[in-house]
Amino acid sequence: MWRRSASFILDDERRRTSNSPPMADNTTRAPFQNPDAISAYYQTRAAHHGVITSDWLAQAQAAVGGGVSGEENSDSSVSELGKDKSFNVIEEFNGWRKQPDLAEAVAAIRALAAVIRASEASTMMELEIELKKASDTLKSWDKTSISLTAGCDLFIRYVTRTSALEYEDFNSAKSRLLERAEKFGEISCKARKIIAMLSQDFIFDGCTILVHGLSRVVLEILKTAAQNNKLFRVLCTEGRPDGTGVLLSNELSKLDIPVKLLLDSAVAYSMDEVDMVFVGADGVVESGGIINMMGTYQIALVAHSMNKPVYVAAESYKFARLYPLDQKDMAPALRPIEFGVKIPAKVEVEMSARDYTPPQYLTLLFTDLGVLSPSVVSDELIQLYL
Amino acid sequence: MPDVQSMVLEFVNKLRKRKIEGSQATARCTVELLRSVISHHRVPHANQASALIDAVKAVGAQLVAANPVELAVGNVVRRAAVAGLDLLDASDDDEDVNGKGIGYPAMSAAVVAAAARSTLRPPSLQTLLEGTPESATAPYTSSSGADSESKTADKSSITRKLKHDVIEGVNQLIHEIAGCHEQIAEQAVEHIHQNEVILTLGSSRTVLEFLCAAKEKKRSFRVFVAEGAPRYQGHLLAKELVARGLQTTVITDSAVFAMISRVNMVIIGAHAVMANGGVIGPVGVNMAALAAKKHAVPFVVLAGSHKLCPLYPHNPEVLLNELRSPSELLDFGEFSDCLDFGTGSGSPLLQVVNPTFDYVPPSLVSLFITDTGGHNPSYMYRLIADYYSADDLVM
Repeated sequence: MWRRSASFILDDERRRTSNSPPMADNTTRAPFQNPDAISAYYQTRAAHHGVITSDWLAQAQAAVGGGVSGEENSDSSVSELGKDKSFNVIEEFNGWRKQPDLAEAVAAIRALAAVIRASEASTMMELEIELKKASDTLKSWDKTSISLTAGCDLFIRYVTRTSALEYEDFNSAKSRLLERAEKFGEISCKARKIIAMLSQDFIFDGCTILVHGLSRVVLEILKTAAQNNKLFRVLCTEGRPDGTGVLLSNELSKLDIPVKLLLDSAVAYSMDEVDMVFVGADGVVESGGIINMMGTYQIALVAHSMNKPVYVAAESYKFARLYPLDQKDMAPALRPIEFGVKIPAKVEVEMSARDYTPPQYLTLLFTDLGVLSPSVVSDELIQLYL
Repeated sequence: MPDVQSMVLEFVNKLRKRKIEGSQATARCTVELLRSVISHHRVPHANQASALIDAVKAVGAQLVAANPVELAVGNVVRRAAVAGLDLLDASDDDEDVNGKGIGYPAMSAAVVAAAARSTLRPPSLQTLLEGTPESATAPYTSSSGADSESKTADKSSITRKLKHDVIEGVNQLIHEIAGCHEQIAEQAVEHIHQNEVILTLGSSRTVLEFLCAAKEKKRSFRVFVAEGAPRYQGHLLAKELVARGLQTTVITDSAVFAMISRVNMVIIGAHAVMANGGVIGPVGVNMAALAAKKHAVPFVVLAGSHKLCPLYPHNPEVLLNELRSPSELLDFGEFSDCLDFGTGSGSPLLQVVNPTFDYVPPSLVSLFITDTGGHNPSYMYRLIADYYSADDLVM
């Protein structure tokens, strides 16, 4: 009753779920829904970060078990062929996404490539329809992952446009699509290298960089700077509950970069000795703001109030068609938090894994499309979807 | 060719010794030099347009190295290269029409044309999955090599036409640079209203023309001119304004904050505008911008299109600045004893720093007036995307 949101859609949903009878059984939900609203995306990130608690394990197993049995039990809503394919897609996707160095969007595109390979379609139109179905399945399975949605959209878009180029032979078109999908992994790696190169000028000798979260792109940037013999030091936030700070400091000390760990609450205290803030992004939204690990908004606010630049490193395929009006205006992405001690039953825990940083607190975005100011993002998105 | 070489070297010398002042003069001289380079350059048969562009870029690199702080040089070189790039698109389509007759294998016309277009498309979200365009440019050399034997006469006429077109483009650029003052001044009457007080700093020809255009349209207003130490160019501007009948008040730079609450608008001319909307202006404008922000006074920047630079500044106060002679601040005769190499550290106890430029971050600017109209600082990237090609944006 004390929650008011600028988003009337979210309010509507909340009202609806509170009115409907509570569901007791996982399997009665829609077959491709991820049960318990635990965000699979953030669970995977936690797995990559190597922080596995017993609670998390139990929930993950329940989620996988519930999901599989749910799919096996469903029969009416999905046709036979569709069900087989969808089952394949999600399995495939999960397989790819477990690899720690692979970007989420790359995993999605590889899964869709597997759909193309297994497809028995004989025309472009049929193939497109199958891909659309598979992509919708993936998207509905994990509503919280922006790279997943963006990657699927990008690939479908590319397929639609390629088929318009009048390839006479369907098989050659299909093989070209497969080839492009395989190449996307390389594109993603190349994107990271381009971003690292673009941001080198902004790191000067003797600077202090504050980093939040464990972004592979930011790590690449710092690695390249170290290889170019720049002298700088890094402050990293602890990043509870994922423990990203310790992992990042491990990686950086291997590169001989001086690192200092901060509590998340010590950011404002240390902000005056910081020269710039570098963060990655889970998604870049239409307004030019970013969605990233919980705590990014806080750090951006502090940096802005002390006139420190906030630089975001994000590949271009993370641009998404979202426009959050406030922090709660996104699909909820929850993940369990270990406090180490038992919490009384009546106490609620804020389990959201991410927050939204509005564009006015960001200085520049480094993407493989070049250095952009936040206002350029919507322009790029318009070009893509026109 | 040797004549052109000596011209280039002479210009490089002038730039290095800072003999040419002002971005408009520099831009105009640079474009004229590039025009002579293009007209004298002997073009090979294959890949003509790209050879021209490479020649332009080579000369441009020399010029930029001579004076890296004068951003107009780099801007104008890139614009000239873009004029050539547009023609590259057109000429390759022509060659493609010729090449089809020789039976180029397997690729349909649509695919080849699409590949041609993709060589010039800037990196964008759309083209993310398209893959590298390098593979597409290779076929062109082979096709143009194949028909060069049969059509040499046609080729030389194509060469002449190509050069003519590029020089047309460059002439247009010169015309634009020369005409920027009038186009900006036309917009004056929309921004300056009756009985207003305008503050300006230093001396800028664009600002002078802007204010006079408003005066001609019978607006009566007053101008405060901050003198712009240490060169005191504000004094010259004040004289010119009085000669044209405007009521002018001269103030010191330090008095800007004191007077800003009485001012309706601050108008200054920029030396260069960066891609993020930041402004490089004469020293003292950052102070005026901060004062204007504090009192919510609109801060308007006038800039011709040759001042738009596609680079993002990462340390503009140091890297895009120039330190001039300390004699402008202190008279050497009086201070010579302080400037002796002191004891201990080996450097003089008295240091004089005389920076030429100031950087104003985009958050302090209210409006940019260019020859295309008035724009938000966050819109500058669009103008830059329109004027420059993608290569300059990424690399």
